[in-house]
Amino acid sequence: MNNLMQAFILLLAGFIVVFVVLILLIIVVTLYSKIIVAAQNSADKKKARKTTVNVGNENTAAAAAVTDDEEDEDDGEIPGEIIAVIAAAVDAVYGDRPHRVQSVRRSKTSRSAWSRAGVLDNTRPF
Amino acid sequence: MEILNQLWQIIVHLFTESGFSKLPWQNYVMVVISFALMYLAIKKQFEPLLLLPIAFGMCIVNLFPDIMGLPTTEMLTLEQMKALQLDPASYTTTVIDGITYYNHTEYGGLFYYLYQGVKLGIYPPLIFLGIGCMTDFGPLIANPKSFILGAAAQIGIFLTFIIATLLGIFTPAQAGSIAIIGGADGPTAIFVTTKLAPELLGPIAVAAYSYMALVPLIQPPIMRALTTKKERSIVMGQLRPVSKLERIIFPIIVVVIVSLLLPDAAPLVGMLMLGNLFKESGVVDRLSKTAQNELMNIITIFLGVTVGATTSGKVFLNLQTLGIAGLGLFAFCLATACGVVFGKIMCKATGGKINPLIGSAGVSAVPMAARISQKVGQEENPGNFLLMHAMGPNVAGVIGSAVAAGVLLSVLK
Repeated sequence: MNNLMQAFILLLAGFIVVFVVLILLIIVVTLYSKIIVAAQNSADKKKARKTTVNVGNENTAAAAAVTDDEEDEDDGEIPGEIIAVIAAAVDAVYGDRPHRVQSVRRSKTSRSAWSRAGVLDNTRPF
Repeated sequence: MEILNQLWQIIVHLFTESGFSKLPWQNYVMVVISFALMYLAIKKQFEPLLLLPIAFGMCIVNLFPDIMGLPTTEMLTLEQMKALQLDPASYTTTVIDGITYYNHTEYGGLFYYLYQGVKLGIYPPLIFLGIGCMTDFGPLIANPKSFILGAAAQIGIFLTFIIATLLGIFTPAQAGSIAIIGGADGPTAIFVTTKLAPELLGPIAVAAYSYMALVPLIQPPIMRALTTKKERSIVMGQLRPVSKLERIIFPIIVVVIVSLLLPDAAPLVGMLMLGNLFKESGVVDRLSKTAQNELMNIITIFLGVTVGATTSGKVFLNLQTLGIAGLGLFAFCLATACGVVFGKIMCKATGGKINPLIGSAGVSAVPMAARISQKVGQEENPGNFLLMHAMGPNVAGVIGSAVAAGVLLSVLK
């Protein structure tokens, strides 16, 4: 009887402790995740603003492209961030001589996405 | 004639010294069982990394029991030393009633010394260190509610504890060691048993690893029986990406909370989280690689053979072992069922966003249990990918079973 009593007490204690510890972990993990995600989002926004300003200062063409594109974004054109990245890449390659990015256009692919996937699958080495 | 007589005497002496005349029948039965386990490990590939060393340890200890022999010290008089042609100068002495005795020490068997790592609770936390280096807690951080499923699966442990106590053939400490099999975590089961009921280590370790190996056979029928076709077909939304900072902070927070609330679980959870911090920090790549490869492999060999070596025929072949095997299976099934039932509750609570099948992964057995959730889910809907969702409860189950072990140790020790 004594053993049985002890067993029931342990059963209850076990339930409660395991759930309390793990629920506490849920709360803590959720809280710190929210804090970190919020902090990183605000940091990303600041960084993005800084980058836009810097690109504008260093490369007028890129800035113009971004500005132009921001106007076009609503029309379903290439997003401004992508244009900025392309302009930055061009700047990294031709930075030592005068250059200007006049336009960015999507290239036409000869194959559909499905046929490209098929080619990729068949030409994968292993 | 004289030569033939002497030759015969040598042959008789060799036979009386051999295992054929010394070993009881139980040892031979155990050798046959070890062959069966080797077959399962090699041919069926059931947890071969541990089952193979366990089976071989089982085989060798039943053929040569002295390999687990304890070290002994015999006190010999000077006359006895001379008779044995031993040099008294190289032995320490003990004086009793004016008579000087020489301490003649016989060293223990090889496995006796290797077994100290199990007996002193060293190997299981080191295994956890390696597991920590290999575990991705990302799915759990992305969906912390998975912790509930990891906790739910531990209910099986405590319910089995009640049943084992009610049977009346086990002490509460033994019942606790048997119940922890339901956690489906080998190192945790060994850690708890060495502290609570070391005499049952062999049967409990073999049962725990056998059931872990049999997860693909044990879990699916329970999962199907407790869920509807509609529930099994639920497709879960994609998990959010988890940042590196979140991954680094997670092990530190878990170890602080668990160690403060449940110090008995600290060796297991602490080493698990240390390993994970090695991995996630990215600054100690060498340590991480060593912990999850070389160190883990060495400990696995030592742990496997020495656990197998605790299963000598006379200790293993009795009704108690049958009881342990039965209760262990019951604990495992119950843990799976509790996980699935809680999965169903969470499914209802979230308006059908959670597939209850991921609940069964709360029984640890990483990553096999998560794979089973994926497999059973895909049987209903081939386009359903539950693996990453099931990994959340799966790794939560590892933490949950370590916490449950801490509860058992703090109450029953």
